[in-house]
Amino acid sequence: MRRVRIGVVGRMIGVLVVLGIAVFPIYWMFTTALSSDADLFAAQPRLVPDFGQFGVFVDALADGPTLTWLRNSTIVAVGTTALSIVLGIPLAYALSRFSFRGKVAVGLLLLMTQMLPEALMVVPLFSLYRRFELLDSLVGLVLANTAFVLPIVALVLKGAIDGVPRELEEAARVDGSRPLTVLLRINVPIIAPAIAAAAVIAFFHAWNEYVFAVTFIFNKALQPASVGLAGFVGEQGTAIQTIMAVAFMFTLPAVAFYLFAQKYVVSGMTAGAVKG
Amino acid sequence: MAHSTSLRSRRAAVALALASGLVLAACSSPAGSDSPSEGEAVEPATITFAASTFGDPGLGPRLQGLIDTYNSSQDVVTIEPAAVPFPTFGQTVLTQMGGGEGPDLVRFDMPEFTSAADAGLLEPLDDLIDADELGLQPGPDEYMTVNDSRYGVIFDTSNYVMYYNTDLIPEPPTTFDEFMATAKATTQGDVYGLAFRQTQAEENGVWQDIFNYVYGFGGEWSDGEKLTLNNPKNVEGLEAYQSLYDANVIPKGADAATFRKMFAQGKVGMELNNGGYLVATRGTNPDLKFSVAPIPFPVRAQGAIMAPIVINANSEHKDAAMDFINWVLEEENQVALQEALGASSVATKTERTEEQLAETPFLPVYDELTNSSAPQIVVGFGPQTADIRKIVVTQVIAALQGQQTMKEAMDKAQDEAEQLVG
Repeated sequence: MRRVRIGVVGRMIGVLVVLGIAVFPIYWMFTTALSSDADLFAAQPRLVPDFGQFGVFVDALADGPTLTWLRNSTIVAVGTTALSIVLGIPLAYALSRFSFRGKVAVGLLLLMTQMLPEALMVVPLFSLYRRFELLDSLVGLVLANTAFVLPIVALVLKGAIDGVPRELEEAARVDGSRPLTVLLRINVPIIAPAIAAAAVIAFFHAWNEYVFAVTFIFNKALQPASVGLAGFVGEQGTAIQTIMAVAFMFTLPAVAFYLFAQKYVVSGMTAGAVKG
Repeated sequence: MAHSTSLRSRRAAVALALASGLVLAACSSPAGSDSPSEGEAVEPATITFAASTFGDPGLGPRLQGLIDTYNSSQDVVTIEPAAVPFPTFGQTVLTQMGGGEGPDLVRFDMPEFTSAADAGLLEPLDDLIDADELGLQPGPDEYMTVNDSRYGVIFDTSNYVMYYNTDLIPEPPTTFDEFMATAKATTQGDVYGLAFRQTQAEENGVWQDIFNYVYGFGGEWSDGEKLTLNNPKNVEGLEAYQSLYDANVIPKGADAATFRKMFAQGKVGMELNNGGYLVATRGTNPDLKFSVAPIPFPVRAQGAIMAPIVINANSEHKDAAMDFINWVLEEENQVALQEALGASSVATKTERTEEQLAETPFLPVYDELTNSSAPQIVVGFGPQTADIRKIVVTQVIAALQGQQTMKEAMDKAQDEAEQLVG
């Protein structure tokens, strides 16, 4: 009995340590934002936020375009997530279930796209976007981000569809279901946890993306937060507390989306367990 | 460490993209036919002006004030600052320009200026700028010509000096030995005697910093025709830089944003920096007691930030862009620009006002160094400076990290750079 109790305590300590490692950077960002200049470089770092400095958050929201940046980032991230999932599901299904010439090559090509850095594609994409008048447009950013994240989304979803028993699909077809119905009614609910995981990947990629955003967007009003944050770094001076305050606000929607998606990941996993 | 590796990868990739952009530009068609011309009426337009200094907490609002003054002085041309963050300013603007877009006006640093001019991304200004008539200072102005054509006019130029905290260091050092001794004596607890850039992530900044050591010890990157990267004087200067690194008198790993904030908080005793730093430091901490002195190295030679203003060859409003340049070069606006810049100089010779001198008695220190300052390019290899910079900085940092001696580092850099320039 005593050994069991120690085990529980040990596990709790372990969980708390892991939680601390995960949460500490965000906490430190918050604490730094709420530090005076003197505290920033004090011999003994300030471990507790100085709430007397809370004005830095108010100023960042009131004086700067922080809310505009966050709105733009949200549009780009949600758009990229939705488009990559909508396009990724049929692509993954085709790769998983259909036999066609060049299937292996398509799979390899998808993998190869993940080995190209974004910066390598900036110049050719810039020319292309200029021709199609997609520069200075959030739609353009959504398309560029989707192009980069779609392969990984498709590969994640293909792996999930591979695990769905074909018998389920065959039973549906016997009942008269069309291929699209089979995909939407049979496969999608079963692979919901994988869709949620892929959505998290797509959202985070688009939320953090910088190279395309800084190059393709000229209009300040269309800048996402990743670019806006970099604007606080000056040639001779940097407003550290302001950066940390905006960066803290920048992390919150991403964390919220993760928590939202995680619910579906877990529910999908447990749904199968209950039936079994 | 993972972040650092990721950043290095990103920067390497961005550099690759930049090179691709310049190649693309070199292969593309020449600029449009709407070149600015003297005497013709300027068409109404809203144009963009990109300068990395717009984002500076101290300097940015002052420059914005100057733009506002121009905008309100007439109702034909409106200038809007372009939204390009400092950390990737050069790469971003050059990529945009290489792709046929980009801001109408740009304030470039010298390496990017020479690269852009050589790639045909800038509008030639030979017929529009009369240096004698305008009274442009000949020293900095001579660097505005690339491949026998003028592509820019000095917007601001700023000599490197030694900033020191007068509370920590009442008397500035006058020799390198004193410099080292002062740095060591000042380094106590959470206070460091000195700060400089020393990571690949700040490649351009490291280049700016080591430039002072190389030239301050009598070296030079080239003789104008051949690269002299492994010149013994260069190695001596870089070994001096390394000796300070090894003496643990700097906050190792701290980037410029951090250690400049530390200087403003009295946590760093000395820093080699240019005139633009004056305004930024006062903006960060108006109560800091500091002064400047010439860099105490054996030879009175140091770097200077020379930042030309240029017209993008892709601009559809070159006449409007030229109108702003002409306005900035007017005498009263040169004075206003210099006041906004603080300790930096402008294209023409302007007198410091009594108010300025009363507020900053050490302003003449900057001005007296103009004749011994040099732009941070490899003379004779201007367009290749950015590539040579990458080679040199990579090798120097490898030496700092103990992977090789500084002599070996510069021998390798010489070999690599010679292969680059052919």
